[in-house]
Amino acid sequence: VTREPWARATARLRTSAALGLLPATAPVMVLVPLGMLLGRAGGGFIGEDALARLDAVTSIALATLGVFIGAAAGSKHDGGRRLAIASSMEALITIASVSAAIYVLLEIWNVPIPLPYALAATALGICASASAAPPVAPGHEGARAIAARVADLDDVVPIVLGGLVIATAGSLGSHPGWGVAATALVGLAVGGTGWLLFDASQGAERNVYVLGSLAVLGGCAAYLDGSPLLAGMAAGWLWALTPGDADRIVRAQLAKVQHPLVVLLLVIAGASLEVTLAGVWLLAPYVVFRLAGKLIGGYVASRIASGIAPADLGAYLVRPGVIGIAFSLNLAQVAPEGAGALVFAVSIGAVASELLTLFVIPVPHSA
Amino acid sequence: MRRLLALAITVAVGWLVVSAADPSSGPLRTGALALGFALIAATVTGALLERVGLPRVTGYLLFGMLCGPYIANIITRPMARELQLVNGLAVVLIAFIAGLEMNAGRLWPRLPAFLRLTGTIMAVTYAALFGAFWLVFPWLDMPEGLTALQRLAIVAVLSTVVASFSPTVTIALIAESRAAGPLSELTLSVVILADLVLIVLFTLAMQFVRFAFGGAAEAGLLVTLSWDIFGSFAFGAAVGALYAFYLRHIGREVPLALLTTCVLIAVAGDALHLEPLLAALAAGLVVENIAPPKGDLLKDAIERGALPVLVVFFAAAGASLQLDALARIGGIAVAVSALRMFLIWAAAKAGSAYAGIDPDTGRLVWMGLVSQAGVTLGLTLIVASEYPTWGAVVQTLVVALIALHQFAGPVLFRSALARAGEIGKMDEEADDGGEESR
Repeated sequence: VTREPWARATARLRTSAALGLLPATAPVMVLVPLGMLLGRAGGGFIGEDALARLDAVTSIALATLGVFIGAAAGSKHDGGRRLAIASSMEALITIASVSAAIYVLLEIWNVPIPLPYALAATALGICASASAAPPVAPGHEGARAIAARVADLDDVVPIVLGGLVIATAGSLGSHPGWGVAATALVGLAVGGTGWLLFDASQGAERNVYVLGSLAVLGGCAAYLDGSPLLAGMAAGWLWALTPGDADRIVRAQLAKVQHPLVVLLLVIAGASLEVTLAGVWLLAPYVVFRLAGKLIGGYVASRIASGIAPADLGAYLVRPGVIGIAFSLNLAQVAPEGAGALVFAVSIGAVASELLTLFVIPVPHSA
Repeated sequence: MRRLLALAITVAVGWLVVSAADPSSGPLRTGALALGFALIAATVTGALLERVGLPRVTGYLLFGMLCGPYIANIITRPMARELQLVNGLAVVLIAFIAGLEMNAGRLWPRLPAFLRLTGTIMAVTYAALFGAFWLVFPWLDMPEGLTALQRLAIVAVLSTVVASFSPTVTIALIAESRAAGPLSELTLSVVILADLVLIVLFTLAMQFVRFAFGGAAEAGLLVTLSWDIFGSFAFGAAVGALYAFYLRHIGREVPLALLTTCVLIAVAGDALHLEPLLAALAAGLVVENIAPPKGDLLKDAIERGALPVLVVFFAAAGASLQLDALARIGGIAVAVSALRMFLIWAAAKAGSAYAGIDPDTGRLVWMGLVSQAGVTLGLTLIVASEYPTWGAVVQTLVVALIALHQFAGPVLFRSALARAGEIGKMDEEADDGGEESR
């Protein structure tokens, strides 16, 4: 078939690849550097004003990611309970290894960050625990599917812990427990509203309800200085558990907004990066201890879910995804003065972790 | 029942969250909450009102007014301001949709009739309002010591602003009720042509005011006007051509590209002092008439994107309605509103006969011309900022009028569209077109 020159040229330009939307090119690799070029550290095209205006978009994107995680956690699968325990254990081991190592290093180096060291170290541990399942060769769908499931489930514990960290760092610091409970309750209430509305509507009106629910989830959490990820997760979990089609409707609608939101989130993260000494100091230990935590945590998880999960589960979980960056942005929303170094370490650390997946490759075998 | 329960929960959650937050701990991040709350609660209110035969738009406005800073204060003043940020984008998207609905081949033969009708309505309404305001000037609470020339200038500006229509509300109502047919087309054309006339009239009136009050008249009036009108059209056409090219040759992430196009028009239009409404209209016209997209890509993107924008636009308008102005000079505002409506009715009737418009359509067109919103308010703000003393009086009166016309206008226009049997026809036409192309 002869193709027009324009069609050939634009086929190459198919923005998917350029925007990092193809599986072969991880979005983090393209969009965080792009954001850096456009933002504070680069040309300054996305300035302080634009970032302030995009704060609402960030909250909505965080809530959307939370909904994905909640829906995944609430859906039923074979061996679900064991996988959930294994995934949570993997996340806790990664959090513990990164947090402990970073805390010790912060104390030794006396790194100048305007956040309590324990809080900063725990926040980095939570960011490190997030993972995305890597693509694997055809024919090994079993291992990939299990790794993808673990990558979904291992975000649940960090998001709950993250809710506590966000509440402590923000204006709810004096009552962090209340902050977490209030955020989760708001998530459930909005989830209930969505459940009532999604089935009763269709077409464009249904789109508005889904978009509105995400905005209320992100907005309520932001208004309370809480975690939109936690609010979104509570709602997503409710939608997955309640009878009716709410879960299916939300997934279908979110599939349409997922790419633009991820693009925006990563570009915002890149644009808000500032190269600081503290950030550079934290970067290397973050990447190294994250890798160690993932491999150890993955091994322990594969023992807990033996027979279901592959033995080299940790190698599948090195890819960082966007949840870690999302959490660091959330921290920057509630503690803007202190979280800059953390956002830098987590965002650039995500790029570095993506590069590590070129070397840390799962052994091809079935689960 | 499910909708009512959902509305109650949403309002309760909004109220609890707004009450629980501590403003003393720093600036509250209100943007996403305002947006989400408006989207859900206003849409539910609109859907409930539609069941009793009222336009959804009225529901969005009512929700904004009831939950806004003047009554329940769930949408606080900072939240209402955040919602207003969507306005620029909303106006552009709404005008872009209007452009997409205007087929030049179909409209061109009828343009002389539309021009005659618009000219008659504008001339009659403007002249009668000018006379009326001149007569009641002593009761308008204006500062003392004004010369006759200054009074003439103020009356000229006031008449221009009060005679204006709202292309945004008209277009939005047509889009929201998926209306198509002679009345929709006629009303749309009249409000757009009247908007062009208004830009010229307002610029001239302000020059007159500056002259009357001893200020320096703006040099290069013709250049400014040309830039406003032709510059906006040229810029919009260029952006429309780019978007059409994107749709034809790339066709991916169409909603995101549509949003980017609208943001580009809104932001660049603002920076270049263009009229975003005209620019977006031109962009839509180019896409529809020069490079129409294949398939349903754009239609789907607009269906997905238009409703949320309309909901937020009208909820924001409702939340920012200055009810205190209405309370202060409600009597005068009602009288002026009644006079304006009568003049539009009479002028439309006479103009339709003069222009040879089909009597059934001509009889209803006045009902689409009652709304007033952003354009009118924008003009008033220009006057008030340049002449704070008497400008404030003009502003109070016009803001009260807007509050009245925001509610009366959509109800009247929807009723007219229903009587003309045009509601929902846009989808039927699209389906017929789809059938034919198959």
